[in-house]
Amino acid sequence: MINVFVTGMGLVSALGSNVNENLKGLRSGQTGIKKSRFFASKYAETHFFGEVNKSTETLIESIKLTSKLGLTRTDILAMIAFNEAIHDAGLAPEEISSFDTAFISASTVGGMCAHDELFADAQLPEKPSVYLFSYPFAAHALKIIEEFKIRGISNTINTACSSSANAITMGTKLIQSGRVKRAIVGGADSLSKYTANGFNALRILSDDPCRPFDTNRKGLSLGEGAAYLVLEAEEQTFVKKKYARISGFSNTSDAFHLSSLSEEAEGVKMAIEKALTSAGLKPGMIDYINTHGTGTENNDKVELLGLSKVFGLIPPYNATKSYTGHSLGAAGSMEAIIALLSLNYKELYPSLYCENPIDEQTPPLKKYQNNVDIKHVLSNSFGFGSNCTSLIFSKI
Amino acid sequence: MFISDLLCISHQKTYDLDLFNNGPIYNEGIKYFALEPDYTSLIPASTLRRMGKFMRMGVGTGLPMLQKHIGVEGIILATANGGVDDSMKFLNQIEKYQEGTLTPTNFVQSTPNSLAGTLSMMCNNKGYNNTHVHEGLAFENALLDAQMFLESNKTKVLLGAAEEISDWNFNINLLKGRFKKENCNPESLLESGTIGTVCGEGAFMFVIEATQRNVLAQIKDVGQITTENPAEIFELLRNFLKKNNMKPSDVDAIMLGYNGDARTDSLYNDFYNSMFKGKAAFCFKNLCGEFPTASAFALWLATYIINTYPIPDKVIKVKPQKEINNILIYNHYNGLQHGMILLNKAN
Repeated sequence: MINVFVTGMGLVSALGSNVNENLKGLRSGQTGIKKSRFFASKYAETHFFGEVNKSTETLIESIKLTSKLGLTRTDILAMIAFNEAIHDAGLAPEEISSFDTAFISASTVGGMCAHDELFADAQLPEKPSVYLFSYPFAAHALKIIEEFKIRGISNTINTACSSSANAITMGTKLIQSGRVKRAIVGGADSLSKYTANGFNALRILSDDPCRPFDTNRKGLSLGEGAAYLVLEAEEQTFVKKKYARISGFSNTSDAFHLSSLSEEAEGVKMAIEKALTSAGLKPGMIDYINTHGTGTENNDKVELLGLSKVFGLIPPYNATKSYTGHSLGAAGSMEAIIALLSLNYKELYPSLYCENPIDEQTPPLKKYQNNVDIKHVLSNSFGFGSNCTSLIFSKI
Repeated sequence: MFISDLLCISHQKTYDLDLFNNGPIYNEGIKYFALEPDYTSLIPASTLRRMGKFMRMGVGTGLPMLQKHIGVEGIILATANGGVDDSMKFLNQIEKYQEGTLTPTNFVQSTPNSLAGTLSMMCNNKGYNNTHVHEGLAFENALLDAQMFLESNKTKVLLGAAEEISDWNFNINLLKGRFKKENCNPESLLESGTIGTVCGEGAFMFVIEATQRNVLAQIKDVGQITTENPAEIFELLRNFLKKNNMKPSDVDAIMLGYNGDARTDSLYNDFYNSMFKGKAAFCFKNLCGEFPTASAFALWLATYIINTYPIPDKVIKVKPQKEINNILIYNHYNGLQHGMILLNKAN
């Protein structure tokens, strides 16, 4: 099987508009979850969000594009992270357009972030909005395909909160099987009334900044952003910088409930175990876990149980959603990049706001640590619809 | 990979295969609504009441397949829009109650992966589970996913697609100019010569197996390209045939996604005339309407054609002169996303 390496990363989140700003944010130990400046929702007044700290207009102005008509916030976030990733990997335009290059994206909200316009357009107005072509889940991907002239295999996955983790998996498999030489993979989602109201209706939207793995957690903080990774076959990467090798992945169904995980943590346990098996690693060889860690009652309790079932003694773990909020379809690839920052800079970032850990004996990381020898990292993503995915990245 | 079983809900009587006995049925109008079966023996009434049409049709086709076939190791689905009607209902709630206290059912059901999740729950299937939403290539990507899944030492997977017509996606697509303005006679849809098409829906499920034992057909390969340049479509076609060690003359029949839209149907003419002139040619959207995952209906229909079921007159563009051992399906969505599926007869 062909080895797959990460050669490029692009990330925009509440912590910053590129990978470097995100790294600084993580090192500062300060959350990006704040009062919203741009989110047009009732909840902007009462709740905290992991909002990208720029208006949609400013974001659109920040990069050069041939067409800027009808770009939603999801679209522009995706384009910014995509653009950073391909430049980071040094991909030439002809490589991006090659049939050997796949593009696998993910989103859960897609263009539904423009809900007011969508709602108005659905009533058949005489003059439709500029967003008419922007609503589908795949709209951001189709715009990237057009802008960057992608011709090879392209896809958009929506498995709720594990979407972009599955995009990483699909891109990896395309390379491993020799179908393509490289794949640009990841996902994007922006704050939307749709998800804020949805999670609020489910009573899992916290009005405080989320407190993953804290006994008194009140739910998730909604975030937004985009994250893309460039994956390349080993033969393409001999003279390139490489962030990690993708060594394992899994995808299982918890087969329990559409909006919560089984109390016995069966899906969580299976996802991690299958990823370990595919990587040929024993549980004791994982040095750090970037958890799904949303801050909801159900997730954190079940995930912790799953971790203890697989690992016994749980390796150092954190919930970086305490910095970025839960950016849904972008979360899997966003957290993969954060895990790769830990791996490459040999440092671990503290999990924020966990004052009274669910399990006193094994709390999440409390302090920043550097010079940590990290060889293998695990990143978990669990979604509505029982979708459980785990990824393992290994040091070169 | 091989198709060992399949089930389809569409605008035609496909659930009971009556289409092949009594031919197509035609209703006037540009919404080709699905003919839904009686689900009561399959889904408990209380559950059924809460299900939107997308979920109902998807469970109605997927559940019998999962019940009938033991050892299904994964569920891979495609849908561009998922439970759109639930999305719209939830948006309506947000508007109506000004982001007040809302009920979450519509929200939870509106995520496109809720169907694959529901099927996994109903059958306690803890295997691989994925949902592709890439508009006109969602189904081709699900096929590709299934292909790679079976390559990883797996034997059996449920593959499918589902799409529903709701006021929301219909109206948005109407504004985009996708549908015909005039009330189109369904019998002459493909010869209308006017712009726009008709809107379809349905659910299509296939049991896909790695080994050729008691199977109906072989899915030899799937290919895709996103482009508006016709020259690149032919580049894909040449590469696709070459990859499968075929010459154009080896292809027995072509199934083309004609939808009656004068702006983009010429691509199908060009495709056929370029290399396949004189060969058997079929169409299918005059039966099922247009929707992003319509190639799933094409695959369903092609599987029956290759198994020598009586071919409805209305799908024959060029009559077969000899036995059909393979069918190349070419479908595009709005002239931008192009997919190819090669189906072989099972030996």
